Amino acid sequence: MSKQIVIIGDSAAGVSAVDAIRKKDKESKIVVLSDENFPSYCRCVISDFLAGKVTEDKLIYRSNEFFKENNVELKLSTKAIKVDPKKNRVVAEDISDNKAEDKKARSAKLQFDYDALLLATGASPKFPDLKGIQKKGVFGFRTIQDTKDILQFVTMADTACVLGGGLIGLKAAYGLKKRGLDVKVIIRSPNVLSQVTDKTSAELIQKRLSENGIEILTGRDVSEILGNGDIKAVKLDNNKVIACQIVIAAKGVRPNTEIISETEIKVNEGICVDEYMKTNIPNIYAAGDVAETFDVTLNKPSVNALWPHAVDQGKISGANISGDSIKYDGSLGMNSVEFFDLPLVSMGIYKESQNHETLSKIYNNDYKKVVIEGNRLVGAVLVGNINHSGVFLKLIRDKIDISQIKDRLLNENFGFADIRDLIKEEERIYVK
Amino acid sequence: MKKIYFDVEKCLGCRSCELACAVSHSAAKELEKMISDKDKSLPRIKINFSKDKNYPMSCRHCKDPKCVSACMAGAISKDEKTGQILYDEKKCVGCWMCVMVCPYGAIRPNKKVKIPVRCDLCTDIGEPQCVKACPVKAIVYFEESELEKVKSKK
Amino acid sequence: MPDVTKRSVDPATQQVLKHIEGQPIKTTWDRHDEMQPQCGFGQLGICCTNCYLGPCRIDPFGEGAQQGVCGADADTIVARNLLRHIAAGAAAHSDHGRGVAHALHLVGKGKIHDYHIQDEEKLKQMAKMYDIKIEGRSKEEIAVDLGDKFLGDFGSQEGPIKFISRAPRKRIEVWKKAGIIPRGVDREIVEAMHRVHIGVDNEYKSIILHGMRASLGDGWGGSMIATEAQDILLRTPEPIRGTVNLGVLKEDQVNIIVHGHEALLPEAAAKVVKDPEMIKLAKEAGANGINLAGMCCTANEVLMRHEVPLAGNFLQQELAIATGAVEMMMVDIQCIMPGLIDVAKCFHTEIITTSEKAKFPGVTFIHFDEHDAINIMKSIVKKAIENYKKRDKSRVFIPKDKKDLVAGISTEVISCILGGKYLNTFKPLNEAIINGRIRGVAGVVGCNNPKITHDYGHLTLVKELLKNDVIVLSTGCSAIACGKAGFLQPEAAFEAAGKGLKEVCEAVGIPPVLHMGSCVDNSRILIAACEVLKAGGLGEDISDLPAAGAAPEWMSEKAISIGFYFVSSGVFTVLGGAMPVLGSQNVTKFLTEDMESVCGGKFAFEADPLKAATLMIDHINKKREALRLRPMMYQGK
Repeated sequence: MSKQIVIIGDSAAGVSAVDAIRKKDKESKIVVLSDENFPSYCRCVISDFLAGKVTEDKLIYRSNEFFKENNVELKLSTKAIKVDPKKNRVVAEDISDNKAEDKKARSAKLQFDYDALLLATGASPKFPDLKGIQKKGVFGFRTIQDTKDILQFVTMADTACVLGGGLIGLKAAYGLKKRGLDVKVIIRSPNVLSQVTDKTSAELIQKRLSENGIEILTGRDVSEILGNGDIKAVKLDNNKVIACQIVIAAKGVRPNTEIISETEIKVNEGICVDEYMKTNIPNIYAAGDVAETFDVTLNKPSVNALWPHAVDQGKISGANISGDSIKYDGSLGMNSVEFFDLPLVSMGIYKESQNHETLSKIYNNDYKKVVIEGNRLVGAVLVGNINHSGVFLKLIRDKIDISQIKDRLLNENFGFADIRDLIKEEERIYVK
Repeated sequence: MKKIYFDVEKCLGCRSCELACAVSHSAAKELEKMISDKDKSLPRIKINFSKDKNYPMSCRHCKDPKCVSACMAGAISKDEKTGQILYDEKKCVGCWMCVMVCPYGAIRPNKKVKIPVRCDLCTDIGEPQCVKACPVKAIVYFEESELEKVKSKK
Repeated sequence: MPDVTKRSVDPATQQVLKHIEGQPIKTTWDRHDEMQPQCGFGQLGICCTNCYLGPCRIDPFGEGAQQGVCGADADTIVARNLLRHIAAGAAAHSDHGRGVAHALHLVGKGKIHDYHIQDEEKLKQMAKMYDIKIEGRSKEEIAVDLGDKFLGDFGSQEGPIKFISRAPRKRIEVWKKAGIIPRGVDREIVEAMHRVHIGVDNEYKSIILHGMRASLGDGWGGSMIATEAQDILLRTPEPIRGTVNLGVLKEDQVNIIVHGHEALLPEAAAKVVKDPEMIKLAKEAGANGINLAGMCCTANEVLMRHEVPLAGNFLQQELAIATGAVEMMMVDIQCIMPGLIDVAKCFHTEIITTSEKAKFPGVTFIHFDEHDAINIMKSIVKKAIENYKKRDKSRVFIPKDKKDLVAGISTEVISCILGGKYLNTFKPLNEAIINGRIRGVAGVVGCNNPKITHDYGHLTLVKELLKNDVIVLSTGCSAIACGKAGFLQPEAAFEAAGKGLKEVCEAVGIPPVLHMGSCVDNSRILIAACEVLKAGGLGEDISDLPAAGAAPEWMSEKAISIGFYFVSSGVFTVLGGAMPVLGSQNVTKFLTEDMESVCGGKFAFEADPLKAATLMIDHINKKREALRLRPMMYQGK
């Protein structure tokens, strides 16, 4: 029973869905639409591309051959603009000549009928509502194209301001610093990474960034971007003016849900899905940064826009599209990042609160914290030595009763050996 | 597939496996020579210790590998034919996602050269060197099905 | 089956190894294979078991623990372990020396009758050094005092020990400056053990400097006293012809092997086996006589003084028994493998251990007491004869290989040979070096080690040195290896030596490799170096000489101590494998680089004997240049 499957998005979720479908089903027709002009690439690596650490060819996640081998019709520069669940149809437009002003007039409307649809449309940077935000030299930092555009400006610039101190902001700052620019990160919160990790670890990272020449201005916001056409400076809310030629807007991302705005598909923060990654329309699935899934640490639906989750969700949607009924075991916030040789891992709940017990220790740049709810681990933060951090993730995900090992959690070498008796051994390791 | 298994009852924690592993993955292939390398190769197997016992650990080459999904650089993949988890050093950017998701703590960063350290079963040599190195035969290498036989014999 | 050519280059050894293939006999090579891989932490010297806070070890990759429980880092741990090795090595030589000095004292007192003062000249020479009155006194009276003085150097607190004064003036200045003149042989060893105790000496340079001091107490103390006292009691060796290798064992005779390091015990054995009463007993037992042969350094001692043939070196000890033709192996101290016991169990061979200090499980102990040496030896030899009847002749396999050699080239003898009986000088050697016939002098010494193909290290190194006109002084197992390869025959100069060295050997009638004795006799090499300096033209300090040392197959702690007293005396010394120090970059650098600025000598670690030869030759060339000697007569190098 051959079907027609349409996948919108060729990044982590889309690609892993293809993998999963083709594992079972070699027959059905698969069409993948992407509004970008590059084959599937490693989105999270663009900061290394910006930094000059890797070349463009190294960014490739799945080459065009992958799609060919899997008998997938890959349509690049094809922007889906509307989903019509009643007609089981996606309407898209060719944006390959999108530089022209009258692109709408020039682009031809395309239609793709489907038996099953996967929405893996990802997310887009949020641009703050600021005077001057439309000026040349203001960039988001999400795509290869963004990076290339920034790189064009880098040669002529000496200073860049990054608005926002989240992961994307800091990664952009890091990349620009490596390119030799003066970089200032302007953050409204009192410390960097406030949506990613706790204060102590954030301060360690912040210190490391400052030591390496990235200036961090906390508790500040930009009130205006100055310049005629090109950027000359940004003006802060304290009226201080910082001269700069590049501004990166890194105030978070927003799930790309416009194309279903006229449908009955339920959207909260992201597209709501059930545990099979299905939306409220039976033949429409969503996965990746656009999907809102059940967060196992928060115990409620949430958008956890993270590469590993996108891959897992894509895999599950793909399998279920091909007739399986596999349940997704939920997502959680988790991040691993390294700045100037200082690695940070943060997962689950990292903030202190009355409902949670936290244990932590710090020694120079080595920091470890665990967050406990009742007899369960719900969060962990590691800086410096991040060995064995996956063991914490296992404890969190599998909701293991940790009361027996609580006193060992912060040990330098706390690892799998300590939890072996508490879990089901999925892979055999030990003879006895 | 053939995998590495450990006998906790036998392991003395001598760490011979660690040394043999690091040496066999070094350029010099000799402990006395590689020890002065600036960027030393690191052991991909580690002995963990818990409650009076030693637990050697190396990559399990999982059936459902978390590291493969997590690798945002596409450097880790699973060879569907052999079941082995493969790693492409050239693609790796040292983001440590694999470290964060490995439930066994079997991958860790080599901070100096910014690549994760994980077992490749010494495929290029043919036989895992840790197995050969273990003085008390606490590390064995065979099919999972054979493991069951060994277990029932005891 | 293991490849015997990888185990040894010696044909006799290869044959026996082949012969026992398939038999339930384990040799050191088999055990070495079973032991693989050997512990890397031990190999790098970063494991510490000195106290029960531990055992501790440092993670050599920099990830795990970088300090022991007490806080000692890799530098401290490596240096402390090294000092322990030096202390053990120095203790072994020195305790041996103490035994001989004590015997000298007892002979003088008339309490021992089986030994006598045989080298009165040396007795007096030594007595003079210690300001002992000679005129009008009997040699026994002098011996009592000299024995006391020798023993005094062991227990001395302030020092310096006497023989330090035999070193060149400049050398003594160097030692003074470094603060490493030994105050007493025992004191330095005891202090070494004190320093390595938890929480005492933790600064690696300070630890190693004391190691240098303790080793000097060995080379210029314990070992030198052993050599000199043995010369006095047993006579100073003179050139002697001998034979070497397992082929010296005899199919139709009672074969007795003396093995270990003592000189007094085999001396008695050499006498007793010639006793007609013993020979008669042997004949009655069906044998055609008694054949005494030596193993390891005991062999070197008894060869030099009694022409007793050498059965082999360290790695051949088990194989001698595996020939099935050995009635008895009589052992004393040092380098006696406990593995012998199991090999002996496969045959009729009886092992007798003779030293209070060296017992073996299941092995008969017969205390060899110098007071009644001959009688005790007779009872032992009788047991051997008795045992001949148990020999299973069908299992006997004696390889044919043996080589003639010349041994017993003591320092005194060299000057005699070179200068003639009346001139007695090193001048001709110095001239040969100065005018470029001989490039320089190398001391090649040390053990065997299954880590390297048996004898390959010694022979490859020596061959290369000879080819480059470097005359070789050899002792211990290295000398035995050279003997088996024929390098100890004067004719070897024709085949192996470079043109210049060949001319000198030919003119004087010496082999290109000089057998100077056992491993305590490495002290003879030090004295030879002093004599060369006295003869003039080659600088003022040992470190000025175009000379180098090597132990290509070293394995024992004694070898570490020897290495240290060579280096501390200013000799560039190449060890075949690295000492267990590579876990500390600082210690390694200190030993292989910085030590030169402290004492004029330094170590190099080079497992490839050809590369080791190049290092030595380069060093010798450097020293030749510094001395502005003439270019080599026949080679540009």
